[in-house]
Amino acid sequence: MLLLLILLLPLLGFVFLGLFGKHLREPAPGVIASALTGLSFLLVLYGVLTGGAEWAVKDWLPGIPFSLVLDPLSGYMGLVVTGIGFLIHVYAIGYMHGDAGFSRFFAYLNFFIAMMMTLVLAGSYPVMFIGWEGVGLASFLLIGFWYTEKKNADSARKAFITNRIGDLGFLLGMALLYSLFGTLSIAELREAIESSTVLPLALGTAGLLLFVGAVGKSAQVPLMVWLPDAMAGPTPVSALIHAATMVTAGVYLIARSSFLYANLQDVSYFIAVIGLVTAAYGALSALGQWDIKKIVAYSTISQLGYMFLAVGVGAYWIALFHVMTHAFYKALLFMASGSVIHALGGEQDVRKMGGLRKYLPRTHLHGLAGALSLAGFPLLAGFWSKDAIITSTLTYPFGGTGFYLAGLAVAFLTAVYAMRWYVLVFLGEYKGSGHPHEAPPVMTVPNDVLALGAVFAGFLALPEPLWNLVEPYLAPALAHVEKHHMALSLEWGLIALSAVVALVGLYLGYLAFTRRALPGWYLTFQTWSSNAFYVDRVYNVLIVNPLKELALVLALFDGFLDTVYIAAAGTGSWLGGLLSKVQTGYVRAYGALMVLGLVAVLVWGVLR
Amino acid sequence: MIHVLIFLPLVFGLLVLLRPGQARGLGLLGAAAALVLGLVSFGAFLDGSSGAYQVPLLAEAGVYYAVAWDGVGAVLMLAVVITTFIALLAAHDVPPAMVGLALLMESGLLGILAARDLVLFYVFFEATLIPSLLMLGLFGGSGRVRALVKFAIFTLVGSLLMLAGILAVRYLGGAPSFLQADLLAHPLAGAAGTWAFAAFLIAFMVKTPLFPLHVWLPDFHAENHPSGLADVMGTLYKVGLFGFFRWALPLFPEAFAAFQPWLLALAALTALGAAWTAYAQTDWKRLLAYGALSHMGVGALGLFSGTPEGALGAIFLLAASAVYTGALFLFAGSLHRRFGTLDLRPTSGLAKSAPALAALGLILVLAMVGLPGLSGFPGEFMNLLGAWQASPVWTFVGFLAVIAAAAYALGAYQQIFHSAPDKPADDLDAFEWQWGTLATLVIVFMGVYPKLFTQALQPAAEALAALLGGGR
Repeated sequence: MLLLLILLLPLLGFVFLGLFGKHLREPAPGVIASALTGLSFLLVLYGVLTGGAEWAVKDWLPGIPFSLVLDPLSGYMGLVVTGIGFLIHVYAIGYMHGDAGFSRFFAYLNFFIAMMMTLVLAGSYPVMFIGWEGVGLASFLLIGFWYTEKKNADSARKAFITNRIGDLGFLLGMALLYSLFGTLSIAELREAIESSTVLPLALGTAGLLLFVGAVGKSAQVPLMVWLPDAMAGPTPVSALIHAATMVTAGVYLIARSSFLYANLQDVSYFIAVIGLVTAAYGALSALGQWDIKKIVAYSTISQLGYMFLAVGVGAYWIALFHVMTHAFYKALLFMASGSVIHALGGEQDVRKMGGLRKYLPRTHLHGLAGALSLAGFPLLAGFWSKDAIITSTLTYPFGGTGFYLAGLAVAFLTAVYAMRWYVLVFLGEYKGSGHPHEAPPVMTVPNDVLALGAVFAGFLALPEPLWNLVEPYLAPALAHVEKHHMALSLEWGLIALSAVVALVGLYLGYLAFTRRALPGWYLTFQTWSSNAFYVDRVYNVLIVNPLKELALVLALFDGFLDTVYIAAAGTGSWLGGLLSKVQTGYVRAYGALMVLGLVAVLVWGVLR
Repeated sequence: MIHVLIFLPLVFGLLVLLRPGQARGLGLLGAAAALVLGLVSFGAFLDGSSGAYQVPLLAEAGVYYAVAWDGVGAVLMLAVVITTFIALLAAHDVPPAMVGLALLMESGLLGILAARDLVLFYVFFEATLIPSLLMLGLFGGSGRVRALVKFAIFTLVGSLLMLAGILAVRYLGGAPSFLQADLLAHPLAGAAGTWAFAAFLIAFMVKTPLFPLHVWLPDFHAENHPSGLADVMGTLYKVGLFGFFRWALPLFPEAFAAFQPWLLALAALTALGAAWTAYAQTDWKRLLAYGALSHMGVGALGLFSGTPEGALGAIFLLAASAVYTGALFLFAGSLHRRFGTLDLRPTSGLAKSAPALAALGLILVLAMVGLPGLSGFPGEFMNLLGAWQASPVWTFVGFLAVIAAAAYALGAYQQIFHSAPDKPADDLDAFEWQWGTLATLVIVFMGVYPKLFTQALQPAAEALAALLGGGR
């Protein structure tokens, strides 16, 4: 029941605010929604401290229980979701101040938390799918929150449809697993798969299909196109859904299924490659963006790529470690961006910012902490988790030196674009025409907490021989993977190398973007990057438009089929005419007679 | 009680036709009575009472009045009584005769579901056609004649073939009567069985419908009365999947096995093709017609898999889609009442002036998209699990429709409700609050607690799969 309550509290908030929110005065809906999310957090915490829990309804669908499980993995993820989610709720009370849809917004946020926790606590894949689609719907509602702008509505639909492509993969993956093992309970599948050595090809296919689902939800190449557009939603949404929690659901799915992937070398390799390609694509696209939120959005794509690199090489706990640190610094970056946008009256173009360090001192510190953590500045949270990922490509079973070098290169790019974001927004002279003002405490205090996390959360898991609290805690819920041990001197040498790469990147970024003129080749790159390498346009020309046209063709074909029947029905026009006359002329009388006849026969038959 | 349930709507329907002045009150009373009886019967069924009853009707010919509820019949019966009640609640401004005809159809539908004698089934199956034709002919739009002729010809051609099949299955098979039990005990095998199955196949393909025998459906809906009442009853009348489940597959397992690969292909192509075609529609009812057609394709894919999961999923989907598709037709009626058109774009940004209407529309559309937690999902999912076991390839093809569904359904929804506010309109009125709330509750309940229905369906689904050799 405890587990059910974790879902039901925010769900209750959604129903209540959806029905009666209109009648509440402004801070009330936000306070209610935040309180319910906070309560959920406390319940998860209680569950974690008391050693987990389970809850199930047998045969929810035939042979498929509705089961919820609180184990280390779901507890860890649940704490991130409800904890960060709570801070974002509080921030939104300030950010959404004065919006006509204030209570509707908090209803949606609560709905999101309920669905995300369904996803996290699920003990079987169909239950996870409920949450999976539910957060997709929440995302649709929140991206299109300001639906009177057509662009926002279109972005919302684009996100939903792109996610559905992935969802089909998830669905088919479930169908395949069910046909192999006759169950979709995660615990039962784990047992069955760990004890069976047969069917590697079928298992590999199932692994790939589930991964397709993860690709859609976590905005990996080639389904990453929805996430930048999702920035159409209010900023707290970007922070909550498109950075801290929902997009990491794909990583969670793979980690949850680690018993499956731990034995699938080829599929894991493929996942790592997709992750790396995504990390590079996101970083290269982030470099050239001019929208303060889009820089952070592409950065999210890139960081998710890192997480998939980690699960790909078999370092499941490290991916989850990065999920947590990323949740802190990325939520912080988004909400600092939100404070900037708020301060500038809706301005999002970084070319009209600059010099905000003076005007927004508190937000400046948040932005700095977030950017440095993202860049991997030594000792900050992002440094430890990203370095752990990059090093894991050398020590975990499915890794390799190529992964290591590429991962390091992307880390360099990350430092550069993080610094670019910081420089353009906070340094130099203010280039806009507004009167920037600092955000109210209801917005800055949650950011303070996030900033603490972005700085210190990395100390939860340090490299050997120092302490590591995350790996042993998560170990029982993840597949056991044999890793090579690296000499301590080499390990710390590589850590130093990572630090140097990040520092050099930061320094070069600082030099490049505080200077006036950039070289010509960079400007060409800038154009490509700011258009995200024209992927959207290519998709529209090659896929979306042909599909739309095919719909028209199919509709025409239906009309054609109609004509064929008509031609076949009446070999001569007189026959057709005669036929239709007979039908319409007598149908009423015919009908009445049939009813009466039927009644008579039945009555006679029954009474006889 | 089973007879009262079947014939009570007929009585009320005739009363309404006799006293059109009191159509609303009598109609609601009749539908409510059927709803209560239906719920009680379902409860009784879960407690083990099937209400089975039989008496010879034409003893010499071996025709019986034989009725009983099994899980499949009971679940679909529930869908019929609930949906009819919702529809009559919503249709407060239709011509009185339509109310009467709807109740006549309800009786016919309940008879179809309960009948355990093939001739009796046929009689109900045909009798239900009459009020349906009358509704279209009397109250349809300007193109109703063409739509009616098309609907009538497709249905009647199918029915005549089925009649031949019915006679063949008994006389060539050597059963002493048309009772289901007798027919099952004397199966008709070989070439004759194949031909008889083909006859049933065409009749039920028209009534599912399945590609390429679906062309009557879009016109049927587009030309019917804009209130949506006739469309709801027409949706309930799409009993093809039930016909396959109850009669065609159990009577001809051998012939079915021979046809199975082709049927799976047709089902998958119906699912995908219809969803895709829906995307190009500019009229609400045509869009819904194609959307519903796509769902029937998904259901058929499950049913034709011959697995217990698929068979169960097909019937669950049929029951669920009756409610949400029906409600969507009523919703289209609500839009028509406001804007005088069924065009997909009477206005934009409507969510601003009519937020509750927008919320209701979204729930219904999402049920159609198959969002988990709403009634569209459990059936679709069980179909998926079943269909995959029979053919992963056609499952993949058919389930591409889940992507297309998001595109056409959300696209249509956003056309009206999102973007810049244009013509404002009134929010939900009292009638819409009533039927909308009821429909929402049913849709959410079926999605959240499908167990109530699946436990009723499971034995029948397993029995069918065992007969077809697809059981686990």
